Amino acid sequence: MSRNARAIGGVLALVCLSAAPALGIAGEMSNMASKFDRAIATFNPIGKHVRKPIERAVPSLRFKGSVRQWSDFLIDTDDHIGFREQDFRFLQLQNLLELEMAYQVAPGLDINAVTHGLYDGVYDWQSSGGLFADGIDRTAEVYNDAERVLREFYVSYRTPRFDLLVGKQQVIWGKMDGQFIDIINGMDRRESVQLETEDFETRRLPTWMANTTLHFGRNSLQVLYMFDFEQDRQPLPGSPWASPFIPPASLSTDITHPVNRPSSSYFGDHEFGLRFDRSAGALTYGVIYGYLWDKNAIDHVIGVEPQLGQPSLLHFEPRHERLHHLGVTTDYATTMPQLPWVGSVPVVLRLEALWTHGVRFVDFTKQAAARAGDSTDGTAQHDTLRAAIAAEFGLPYNTTFILQPSYYHTFGWNKHLGYGFGGGIGDEWTILPVMFLSRTFAFSRDRLSAQFTALPVISGPEVGWQGIKTKLRVKYKFSQFVTGQLIYNGYDAGEPTDFYGQYDEWDNIGWELNYEF
Amino acid sequence: MNSDPRTTPRRNRRHALAACLLATFGWVTGSSAQEPTWRTVDQLTEEERAQFDPNTAAPRDAAIPYLPAEPYPFEAPYTAEEMGYRSSEFAHIGRWSHSLVDVYGAITTSGYINQGVSVGYVMVTMPPGIEPYGAYLRDIKAGDVYARWMLYNTFPPETEAEQQLWMVYRTDPKITTKMDFFVYSPQMRRVRRQPQPRRDQRFPDNAQTFDDVMGRDPWELEWSLIGTDVLYKTVRYPNTRPTITLNDGQAGFVEKQTADIKPMSDEYPHYQSDGGVKCWVLKATVRRDLVPDYAEKTLLFWVDQHSFYPLRTEKYNLKDELIMIEVRNAEMANPEFGQHGYSASISLYWDLEHDIMSYSLHDGHTPHTWTPEQQAMIFTPEFMRRQWLVESVKSQALIEDPDHYFLRPEIHRDKFPAERKIVLAPELEARSQAEEAAGHLIFETAGASDTN
Repeated sequence: MSRNARAIGGVLALVCLSAAPALGIAGEMSNMASKFDRAIATFNPIGKHVRKPIERAVPSLRFKGSVRQWSDFLIDTDDHIGFREQDFRFLQLQNLLELEMAYQVAPGLDINAVTHGLYDGVYDWQSSGGLFADGIDRTAEVYNDAERVLREFYVSYRTPRFDLLVGKQQVIWGKMDGQFIDIINGMDRRESVQLETEDFETRRLPTWMANTTLHFGRNSLQVLYMFDFEQDRQPLPGSPWASPFIPPASLSTDITHPVNRPSSSYFGDHEFGLRFDRSAGALTYGVIYGYLWDKNAIDHVIGVEPQLGQPSLLHFEPRHERLHHLGVTTDYATTMPQLPWVGSVPVVLRLEALWTHGVRFVDFTKQAAARAGDSTDGTAQHDTLRAAIAAEFGLPYNTTFILQPSYYHTFGWNKHLGYGFGGGIGDEWTILPVMFLSRTFAFSRDRLSAQFTALPVISGPEVGWQGIKTKLRVKYKFSQFVTGQLIYNGYDAGEPTDFYGQYDEWDNIGWELNYEF
Repeated sequence: MNSDPRTTPRRNRRHALAACLLATFGWVTGSSAQEPTWRTVDQLTEEERAQFDPNTAAPRDAAIPYLPAEPYPFEAPYTAEEMGYRSSEFAHIGRWSHSLVDVYGAITTSGYINQGVSVGYVMVTMPPGIEPYGAYLRDIKAGDVYARWMLYNTFPPETEAEQQLWMVYRTDPKITTKMDFFVYSPQMRRVRRQPQPRRDQRFPDNAQTFDDVMGRDPWELEWSLIGTDVLYKTVRYPNTRPTITLNDGQAGFVEKQTADIKPMSDEYPHYQSDGGVKCWVLKATVRRDLVPDYAEKTLLFWVDQHSFYPLRTEKYNLKDELIMIEVRNAEMANPEFGQHGYSASISLYWDLEHDIMSYSLHDGHTPHTWTPEQQAMIFTPEFMRRQWLVESVKSQALIEDPDHYFLRPEIHRDKFPAERKIVLAPELEARSQAEEAAGHLIFETAGASDTN
């Protein structure tokens, strides 16, 4: 614990030193901080010595990048939770280098590439028997294959009324925090419940596709044709965020076969998407349709192996399911006049909803029936709905308040169903009334800002309260190139099998340093 | 609406005495150390009297009663209200279609500097050739969009390709929404509609408020004339920055001696022989019946006597204390509109409360006729998703080092003391005086081994 305290103290001291002049601390310390401020104001070595010379030598090339170090460590000390040995302290010690290049071949014609290099020190820099995911998949520790390193690579051709982008890319649909109609790319969900909107850019898994958009007046129509498939990556067994309540494969006697993935070489397995947008003054809206694969495979029973005096063994084949998605998005701006204490308040309202047809769920009643000899694949199909409405308020003192109730529903739900895309979390319906508060602090000349988020989870009719996640982030701007953050994430209440409740012992503090050049 | 009932001769004598005392014991800067450059209303010259109409109850327009009846841009002699309307024409962004690159930044007491570069496309929805502010007042219906500003960030790397679309509305006393506001974030890869910023609230890391950018509608203010003055310098460069390279639009990059840069640019034909610009000094009091929760109580404007361009603005809070000074250098950016064609080439804002000084330099300003295809393509929220910098406008005006930052605007403590309550912390006052002597900003307190 003392080691953690020293780490926090060190970071706080650095922030205090930097904030000293803004805080009005007089004398030598203030002068020292001023020297630091002025030195770091122009600290951009890669920008000066790499980016500028490259761009000068190749005027048609745009080159930029970032170096990011972010670490999270556990506050709680429990050693044995559920099926896990929590004998580690750090949840991530990640170092990410990103380089982004765009070369203009001709006006309107560009070649774009984004490359990533990641190293996560959690497997090397602490002694732990509970962390072994790097032995299952090396990319948990380091990006060591071309698929991960070459993150995006596409050719873009643009005319005033038409865009065509062909290659590996990420396409983001929607306007809301979280994922509602953002359904095109898979996601690396190694951080499980700690994955949030600001991480999507680095965690999303780009896909090979042709992406074209037609622009006419205030309207645009986007058509996607995806000839490659990227599934979600859930936390691996033996990774820091692997669920403590999922039993290890070694405890199961059933046999799981390799995943049956859609094939990029078979046209029938390719995916398609459509998006239409229109803006009309204070109102903008859009409609989307996707004919996509479920990014997560569902176990299908493909065989039963009778055992003498024992329950039969099941043979599972995880398969991805074809889904039809239909979604809407809209936003509207207005001003609430003359409220007490806060005066006129500008407000933006956003709405997003996605209805999905034919989501495949594991049905544990059917699995039991299969084990008893019935002919069933142990799954069931249901439609789901996920939707959110958000109200964002511009309050005094550069304070922003967002209230975003989110709703997830499984139609025709029964309590023997497992998890399925877009549906209620372990229940028929789930509500997350997310609250977000953000402000800058004038005493620091707005270099210091704080954000607080509360994400309670309530579901019904079976489970009820599923716990709450709270997040406090304090961000400090060292310069226009370097920023730092301290982040606290807490997971409280709920039962050990609940959405947040299972991570009750995963409260953590993190820091992040980011240099962009 | 009164021109200034408090400026009696007796009071003026007291003001002159106060100015002399300040000149002897305190901090009086610039040319004002000799003969005062400022005069109260009752000291106007004959020529100025001929230009000024003290009437405070001018007839109103029959169709739009909050406007004066006389057609814009009015004719001499001008009432204080008419001068206010004329000066309101010159908002931070020019009121005609154009492109530019906005180089901006802020600096704190410690020398922390934060800068950005943003390419801006401005599309005004009025037929070319019509004097824009007159058309705004008379021809645009309240609640209609009259301009669209598309901004594309090119610096710093953290915000590169970040974009904003401002869809600016004609307002009136009842329809007060000023704009629809959309932001594209490359990190999120999403276009998000944002709430309109609060009008009197300083932007984060900046001294500018939303209204400083948008401009204030003149009918929300009560106007009076408090006198005249002569300004010699507005934005002042430090002696550590002898030259600046500016994008002249047509001519490309031009290196200029900073000491030679004039408040109204070289083309202005009305400089005095000593280089001064004769100004009206207007007082504008916020109308609480229209803007009840506004944090600013009064504003003082120094507007040049020929085009009514506001070269200096001071803002006072509800306690009548000076909270912000804005000074501008202007240029003839659109000769097609004659004296209405001036636009800010550089604006400097000093927030005295937080001691933040921010600047906005408009480089490469070029009047631009957007084709119907460009109008339909560029100025929509969805265009931002394309991350397309259609026409690049470059600048070399970024400040390389905190030591090269602009000097604070002059305080002119001697001028109009009855109207100006200036309270500076002793440390800030001392620092400012030391900077005046040094000719550049000073970031460290006295007694340190290295003062810069």
